[in-house]
Amino acid sequence: MENLKLDGTKSTPEINFDLESGILQIKGESFPENAAKFYTPVIGWIKEYLKNSTKEMVLEFEILYFNSSTSKIFMTLFDFLEKEVKKGKKIIVNWKCDKENETAIEFGEEFKEDMDLLPFNIVFL
Amino acid sequence: MEMSLYNLYKELKLQNMIFCYSGPIAQSSIEGVGCTLRKNLEAEEIDNAATLSVFSIFVEQVQNILNYSAEKLGGSGDSDDELRVGTIVIGREDNGDFYIYCGNRIKKADISNLARRLEEIKFLSRDELKSLYKERRRMESGSGSKGGGLGLIEMARKSGKPLEYSFVDIDEQFSFFSIKVVVGRK
Repeated sequence: MENLKLDGTKSTPEINFDLESGILQIKGESFPENAAKFYTPVIGWIKEYLKNSTKEMVLEFEILYFNSSTSKIFMTLFDFLEKEVKKGKKIIVNWKCDKENETAIEFGEEFKEDMDLLPFNIVFL
Repeated sequence: MEMSLYNLYKELKLQNMIFCYSGPIAQSSIEGVGCTLRKNLEAEEIDNAATLSVFSIFVEQVQNILNYSAEKLGGSGDSDDELRVGTIVIGREDNGDFYIYCGNRIKKADISNLARRLEEIKFLSRDELKSLYKERRRMESGSGSKGGGLGLIEMARKSGKPLEYSFVDIDEQFSFFSIKVVVGRK
C-alpha cells in the first residue's frame, strides 16, 4: 500500500495518511456536493489498511466546518471503526479543535456521545 | 417593460438584503458566494458562532436546491455537472436577525413528502431535534439522494426558530417551494 494524500480544496479537506506513523490526518472544511462520493474511496482505503495492519491507527480530525451530508458519512466511518475496535484493532480518534470554536467542539461531542468502544478524544489546540 | 437596475438596487437596499441571486446554481457558486458571505459577516464584526450558523444554513439551503430543484439545465447525464435553478436571498430583519431565504420549483407530486418532513420538525424542542438528527444520521440514505436527508433538521437546529415555508402553484405539474430560516444576532 502507498501513503494516501489528497490536497484540500475550497469544499473538501486535506487528507494525509502516513503508513509509517499510522496517523491519518483530515484537515480543513468539508461541504462537497456529494460527500458520500468524495469519502467512499477514503473509507475504502482505511478498510484495506486495517485488513493487514496490526499497528495502532490514529485518526486526527481538524475540521472547522462540515455540512450535514459529511456528518452522515463521518458517522458511517466511526461506526465502522467501532466494529473494528470490537474485533480487537487499536484505533484512536482525536477530534482537534480550537478552544474558542464552540461549534467544532459541539460537533465532536455529538460524535463522541454515540461511540461506546472507539476511543474518541476532544483535543484542544 | 424597461427594467430599472437602480430601482432594483434601491429596493434590495431598502429590504436590508446582503445578497440576492436567482438563476442556475452549481457547487462552485456555493464555494464562491459562501466565502464572500463569511468575509462580509466578519467585516460587520458578527461573532463566530452566528457567522458559522448563517454560513451553514446557506450551504444546506443551496445544496437542497442543487439536489432537489425540479428546474434543471444542461448536464451530460452525470448528475454532478448539472445546473439547477433556484433563488437565494440573504438579509437582515429589522431587529438585526439574519435570514436565509431560498426557493425553487418542485414537482407537485413531491410536495406531500416534503411537507410531511417539514411539519415533523416544526414544533420539536432543541433536544428533540438533536435526537432526531442523530437517529437520521445513522439511517441509510434513500437511493438517488445525494444528500443525507439531514439538511432540514440541521437548519432547524442552527436557527433555533421554526422554519417558515410555503408552496405556491405554478401550473399543473409544478409548484414553487420556498423556505426561510432565521438566525438570531447574538
